[in-house]
Amino acid sequence: MSGFWSWWVIVLIVFNLCVTFFLFLWGPRAKVPVLPDGTTGHVWAHGALREGMHRLPGWWIVISFAMFFSAFVYLTLYPGFGNHAGVLGWTSHAQLAQETASNEARLDAAFQRLDKYTVEQLAGDREALAMGEVLFRDNCAACHGRDARGNHLLGAPNLADNDWLYGGDGKAIETSILDGRHGVMPPWGPQFGEAGVENLANFVLSLSNAPHDAAKAIAGKALFTVCSACHGPEGKGNPALGAPNLTDTIWLYGGDLESVEASIRDGRGGTMPAWRVRLGNNDARVLAAYVYSLSHGDPTNTK
Amino acid sequence: MAYRHFEFIEKHAWTLGILTAIMVSLGGLAEITPLFIEANKVQPAEGVKPYTPLRLAGRDIYVREGCYLCHSQMIRALRFETERYGHYSTASESVYDRPFQWGSKRTGPDLARVGGKYSDEWQRLHLMAPRDVVPQSNMPDYPWLALRLIDGKDIAARMRVLRLLGDPYTDADIKAAPKAVAGKTELDALIAYLQGLGIDNEPQQPVAAATTPAADGGAP
Repeated sequence: MSGFWSWWVIVLIVFNLCVTFFLFLWGPRAKVPVLPDGTTGHVWAHGALREGMHRLPGWWIVISFAMFFSAFVYLTLYPGFGNHAGVLGWTSHAQLAQETASNEARLDAAFQRLDKYTVEQLAGDREALAMGEVLFRDNCAACHGRDARGNHLLGAPNLADNDWLYGGDGKAIETSILDGRHGVMPPWGPQFGEAGVENLANFVLSLSNAPHDAAKAIAGKALFTVCSACHGPEGKGNPALGAPNLTDTIWLYGGDLESVEASIRDGRGGTMPAWRVRLGNNDARVLAAYVYSLSHGDPTNTK
Repeated sequence: MAYRHFEFIEKHAWTLGILTAIMVSLGGLAEITPLFIEANKVQPAEGVKPYTPLRLAGRDIYVREGCYLCHSQMIRALRFETERYGHYSTASESVYDRPFQWGSKRTGPDLARVGGKYSDEWQRLHLMAPRDVVPQSNMPDYPWLALRLIDGKDIAARMRVLRLLGDPYTDADIKAAPKAVAGKTELDALIAYLQGLGIDNEPQQPVAAATTPAADGGAP
């Protein structure tokens, strides 16, 4: 704040305090003329209501004075009186920095211990899981759900079923969190045509013995050679590409004929954002441990 | 001051009103005027640029739909906020916001740095029907955003007005605006706006981390 505005604030504060303090001192001493009947002569409602005369009560005077006193104390200790920084030198940013530092000191102590373990081992650690759960609810639940069971609309995978697109060991989960993932299924509708898409979808369903039209599945089998580039010749998927296994009963975008047809026709693009900058390595590790624990039974029982 | 002065003030409504107004306005004069006058000295933070045409359209939809009534864009310097949302907001980050969207009603989460937190597809689903992705949400659906297209000429006109107010748009920027928003729905514009919030302008980037894609093509 420039010098002028500092003085502007100071003058206004002094003016305000002077006026109110004068009234405070003057009020109890003011000589108010009183009529013989004890009223001031002010009347309302054609004389039905008359204004009586009472001195300011003691408690009001004491509390008012305490207010003035605390105003002076506040303006001395804290910033407020123009550019006067206050005797304590308090700023909100310094308080934030101090609170952040003391929290980081607590976390550093915790992570010094946790750093000794792998993600898989951390999945059995109560402290790591407690931190991981909070982080999960804040950051991951929006797509994967609070119960981590995923969302077919988004293609957000179920994290509690021990079926993994990019590998389910601690390291792979950590990498998925830190750097994100982008699964790309190209659209095949223009190339295969509507009948081709329907036949192929029936063939894909046949891989997992889901209800399908056998004749159409046979007709679609030849088209699958294109798919095998990513999903493998047997449709068992490829964790290096995040291509899902098509032979199990787990479906990212739904496993009914219509959903599978839509996946083939229009393609899919599932995006897991990268969290490295937002969360940092320590948070990502405990988060990975929490995610790992979800599909590995009672976490406190792991070896 | 004798009692008769006091009595004069008390019995003359205009005098009483004017003197009361003077005393009541002292606080505002001290707290608001200096910041108001000095606001034009705030320079854009590094990386803060005027909105692209599509994001500008999205910003105006954000205002039109009243998103600010439930979402703030103002991370306060309090640990429980910086911990959850990132670095606290600074005035130099919102120099191109007219009006600024700081807000103070925090029904939903703060959006000052929400850009990139979720995928575009998540934002699309969430705006169309929030409970499809967050069952606990009490945010309303905004399905009509997908129905209307952005008017490019209108956006160019808005950019010309913003240039009058001091935003450094070039003639080329304004000329390119209709093409940049051609065929985009209001939903696309709003998502572009949201996905850019706080991404380019986070002060003192906490980790200068290389967001290199994972070996298997991982970057979002």
